[in-house]
Amino acid sequence: MISRRALEAVTAVLTGSFGLAVVISSLGNGIGWGNDGVDPGTFPFITGVIILAGSLYNLVRGLSGIGIAVSRDDLRRIAGLFVPAAIFVGAIPYAGMYLASAGYIFGVLALPKHQSLPRALIIALATPLALYIVFERMFQVSLPHGELAATLGY
Amino acid sequence: MENLQSLLHGFTIALSLQHLALMVVGVLLGILVGVLPGLGAPNGVSLLLPLTFGMQPVSAIILLSSMYWGALFGGSVTSILFNIPGEPSSVATTFDGYPMAREGRPTTALATAFGSAAFGALVGVILITFLASWVAQVALAFGPAEYFAVYFLAFASFVGMGGAAPMKTVVALAIGFAIAAIGIDTVSGSVRLTMGIDELVKGVSFVVAVMGLFGIGELLIAVEEEIHARAVSSKIDWLEVFRAVGNLPKHGTALLRSAAIGCWMGITPGGPTAASFMSYGIAKRFSRQGKRFGSGEVEGIIAPETADHAAGTSALLPMLSLGIPGSATAAVMMGGLMIWGLNPGPMLFVDQKDFVWGLIASMYVGNIVAVALVLLTVPVFAALMRIPFAIIAPLIVIICAVGAYSVSNSYLDIVLMLGFGVIGYLFKKLNYPLAPLVLAIVIGDKAEDAFRQSMLMSKGSLTIFFDNRLVTSLVVAGFALLLLPLALQLLRLLRGGADTRQAWVQRRWR
Repeated sequence: MISRRALEAVTAVLTGSFGLAVVISSLGNGIGWGNDGVDPGTFPFITGVIILAGSLYNLVRGLSGIGIAVSRDDLRRIAGLFVPAAIFVGAIPYAGMYLASAGYIFGVLALPKHQSLPRALIIALATPLALYIVFERMFQVSLPHGELAATLGY
Repeated sequence: MENLQSLLHGFTIALSLQHLALMVVGVLLGILVGVLPGLGAPNGVSLLLPLTFGMQPVSAIILLSSMYWGALFGGSVTSILFNIPGEPSSVATTFDGYPMAREGRPTTALATAFGSAAFGALVGVILITFLASWVAQVALAFGPAEYFAVYFLAFASFVGMGGAAPMKTVVALAIGFAIAAIGIDTVSGSVRLTMGIDELVKGVSFVVAVMGLFGIGELLIAVEEEIHARAVSSKIDWLEVFRAVGNLPKHGTALLRSAAIGCWMGITPGGPTAASFMSYGIAKRFSRQGKRFGSGEVEGIIAPETADHAAGTSALLPMLSLGIPGSATAAVMMGGLMIWGLNPGPMLFVDQKDFVWGLIASMYVGNIVAVALVLLTVPVFAALMRIPFAIIAPLIVIICAVGAYSVSNSYLDIVLMLGFGVIGYLFKKLNYPLAPLVLAIVIGDKAEDAFRQSMLMSKGSLTIFFDNRLVTSLVVAGFALLLLPLALQLLRLLRGGADTRQAWVQRRWR
């Protein structure tokens, strides 16, 4: 269960720390008026300051928020979508796009018993095949094959 | 007259067999992404972008813009038949469209929506035909200071008229600017904001941001709200289609008013979503049937649909003639223009006549193709909605990952895309607007260049922004828009409470 106040605060802190990082990083590029015009760090510096100031304002405003933003059930459903997606993305460098997507689809459909086993298997195999035909063949965009394929010699 | 001649020339380009085929493909793909929750016009168009690199720019833009029209129509189909807006801009269509469909008049609702949408789009295209080249001519005389002032005005109008909390809009805009600055600075050649990650030197593409913000973010919102497709019958009764369209002229005032609102919100970057809500709200206040809005009123469908499409179409006017996109999708298309090696802005009307007028002519044809196709395919796409969300969701995740990767064959982009997904969810949940963020990523570099060039011209003095009447009035108008929310708030405080329900609904869906 996440209250609206907490969610507002977390988001404001998140944007604020990004702003802070931008400010610090842009100082390294130099800000102000240099020999060849406006220094490269100036514009990012200004945007960083605006992000920081705006986030502080939103943080203060957000603390007066009331009610629940995400209920326990919501959170479970969101995690149910996001965690497998994150694992899928994490697996791409090793397993490659094709294997990872097949495993991802199969895992998401078969494990929570959303679909029958054969149907999950068919969808899991059809997806990488479609990707291969559309991208690798039709549009000649090479998708990552992964370290596993590399060690196997593909 | 010159415009009409150029337009006729444009038709000779747009009406080739190849381009008509591209329109059909584009519209169908557009309806598909419009119907599927989690995929929308911005990420649909970004997905197609890498596939257009080998094409002629005219063909590429015809494909992408047709997809845009298709997505605008597709969003209305699910709004009316399932009460699920496929696109944020068709949320207002659910208010009266779904009740009418549930009453047993789905064909009337659909035909009314498509008819008024086509009218809105037509008004938008006519506006572009006659106004775009004139605006471009004026803009040819612009120097860097004027350009920066126009950018400033565009961003200020987001803050002033976007409808979201002003400070959240400001933060979203500034984050977009910072993201645009990541990588090699084009002026000095120095590396900026990479935070020690070497791969970031190439910068962060807007496609990656769009995939995450609109794709993954939208999915997370959709799974949280646990959408259930409760369909009403999707059979089309053709006689009723003609009757409903024939009845449209009776609502002439509503049509014209909504089209005007749409065009205004499209040209000033308010975008289609804000336009449809504003138009619905105003129609509710002024229509004789206003009290019955929400229970399946015809004008309750006409108002948001006309404004949505008028805004979607006219959003291309500032993109073509000034290089400032009027909506998130227009921003993506403009990114495409730059990748194809074209320079969006007034010079297009001088150097790329075929491209500009081919596109404008294709907008007339493309919208006709879209209306015909969407009517023919309603049952097919309605059936698509019966595929369980559990299957569609992982497929969309994979599509977004592939889309992000294919921009520059970088794995980091996939990880960034997922990160943007979390940001997209948080921002949507807390009513931070996403369109200004994308817009700032696309034109951030140009705005910065304009600023630095004007500073070079004035040797570091800000007075250049008050040098002549044009620049001064643009800057003053920008500041006025920035301060508008503050002024309105003060006014409200003085007058006491206000109508908050409509504003709440609107903010919730942004």
